[in-house]
Amino acid sequence: MSDALVSFIIYGFAQGSIYSLLAMGFSLVYGVGGILNQAHGAFYVIATYIFYTSYLYLAQFGLAIGIILALIITPLVGGLIYFALIKPLKESHVGIVIVTFAFAFFVEQFVKIAVDSIYHNMPLLIPGTFDFFGLSVDNHYLLIIGIAVLLVVLVTLFINKSKLGKSIRAVAQDSEAASLMGINVDRILAYTLVISAFLASVAAILYVPEDFVRPAVGWTVLLDSFAIVILGGLGSLPGSVLGAFLISYARSFTNYFIDPTFSALIPIVVIVVVLIVRPRGIFGKKEID
Amino acid sequence: MLDKFGEKFAGVPAYLRDWIKTFRGKITIICLILLSALPFANPGPYIMGIFYTFMIYTIFAASWDFLAGFVGQVSFGHAIFLGVSGYVVAYTLRYIAFIPIWWGWDNGILVPVIGIPINWVTALLLGAIIAVLFGMIVGVPALRLKGPYLALGTLAMSLILYQLFLMGQLGIWWEGTFGTELFGTDGLGQVPPISTNPLIQYFMIFLIMCVSILILTHLVKSNLGTVLKSIRDDETGATASGINTTKYKILAFMISGFFAGIAGGLYALRFSGVNPALFQPLYSFYAIIIAAVGGIASISGAALGAFIFVFLGEILRLLGDIPGLEGFGGFVEPIFIFSIFLILIIRFAEHGIMKPALERLQDMWDLVLGR
Repeated sequence: MSDALVSFIIYGFAQGSIYSLLAMGFSLVYGVGGILNQAHGAFYVIATYIFYTSYLYLAQFGLAIGIILALIITPLVGGLIYFALIKPLKESHVGIVIVTFAFAFFVEQFVKIAVDSIYHNMPLLIPGTFDFFGLSVDNHYLLIIGIAVLLVVLVTLFINKSKLGKSIRAVAQDSEAASLMGINVDRILAYTLVISAFLASVAAILYVPEDFVRPAVGWTVLLDSFAIVILGGLGSLPGSVLGAFLISYARSFTNYFIDPTFSALIPIVVIVVVLIVRPRGIFGKKEID
Repeated sequence: MLDKFGEKFAGVPAYLRDWIKTFRGKITIICLILLSALPFANPGPYIMGIFYTFMIYTIFAASWDFLAGFVGQVSFGHAIFLGVSGYVVAYTLRYIAFIPIWWGWDNGILVPVIGIPINWVTALLLGAIIAVLFGMIVGVPALRLKGPYLALGTLAMSLILYQLFLMGQLGIWWEGTFGTELFGTDGLGQVPPISTNPLIQYFMIFLIMCVSILILTHLVKSNLGTVLKSIRDDETGATASGINTTKYKILAFMISGFFAGIAGGLYALRFSGVNPALFQPLYSFYAIIIAAVGGIASISGAALGAFIFVFLGEILRLLGDIPGLEGFGGFVEPIFIFSIFLILIIRFAEHGIMKPALERLQDMWDLVLGR
């Protein structure tokens, strides 16, 4: 096989698994609470910078401390956002959109000031390479694919089988009826934001060593997740996994066979086209209203 | 003398007279007088520059507020209009002498004989017209989207344009084909200003701002405004009453695009250039924060919001330069402070801070007068 084809397959798959993590969280928050969280990219940025700063200043403890801190703090921020910003504005969808948008700006500016706005590199979590059909690929990609696939399966099981998952689905179907059944809707919604932030921070930690540390990455993340979720259908978890792989392979295809400059345009074009042609996406059940 | 003045005053339509007598009217008149007196005080190019920016942002935020506050269509991509019109103005002023409107035969070759000469006025109008076209382009797909979807859809559209104008390869291709610069990170520079005389420049922008605000306020109060507000409040109800919501929504997008386009053209003239950064979400964010500070669904509030935004921004920038403050100087970065502002305003005072502040001021005024 040619190098381009092999890269297309392996890198497309790796990015698709990262995308699945990001899109699942985004879709979950929308599907359960009807919250279109513009601060989704901010979770990624927060996790990235916690990981990066602890790599800078806490190097003696190894990379693990940064990973642990990022995986604890970012979900807490997610829950906090729910109670501080989203819950009081529940009545106004537009208010939520603007306030989370402002929060994303806040985080971007904060890391710009507190750290800096230069691109940085991070070391790979596991060094070394392996041979994949004649192409030497970082071992790190195996880690990305392994953990992401595992998490996708775990989250799906969690939503479908566990008790908390069942209450999450109940709230998604009818929050009023769920609250009459004794489910604390606010707590459930906060949990979905916590899960979403957790998935975003896992994605950040896995992907940052292959990418750069930079403040503006949040907007790309937000747009990519939005494109995926729009394509797959808002609120549908299988849809977001499918959409993630479709978009990542479309990007990978333009990267290796057409021209890398155009690959950044793919998600945006997908958003516009899907919104015009089929606003509810592939698996979307609900009509947009 | 006083009688003569009284006679003249009597010629003014009654509603205007009543308006001037109200507290709001008085405040507005005082502000207008102060603004028109300002350039005669010779404040220097720095202060004048701040005022240009303030007036341009006023138009921009008012156009956003018209769409969001009165029609309920929240756009996160208002920078589209700013950027498109800015580029049109910069490009025509730099490369095009006139726009042909009639052609004639000359030795067997078709040549333009009549055309509109390009100066800043025609360029600005052209920019605004192109922005209106973009308003239609954005408005038509946006009809299928509501609320948050619309916000993200318009955000995506502005990002497409941002990416397109950033593309260096496209710039090379364009330069090779047409021999002019357009795309690429550098943008377009060397745009001639409105006038080298700061007084003329100031009053031109001032006039355009006043006319824009006046037109927008009148539109809001007119029949059209009532129809638009009915769409905002209850779209199903509006449709049931026989209102063609599709038509009116596109119309609203076009009107909003027109004024945002005027702002974009003025922006290009004032900063004598444009670059792709004009399409960034940052500028859409500016419009939102200004409108939110001034109060959503209040056109004149945009002026107050822009005033606070621009001047507070300048003060914060100056604060950052004070020696000894550098340590935390970074944290007085305007956008950082304003993002906190926006969060707090939307969270705690959704109707802006202008209305309550004005009411408080009026109470104090009444107290002083002993009413």
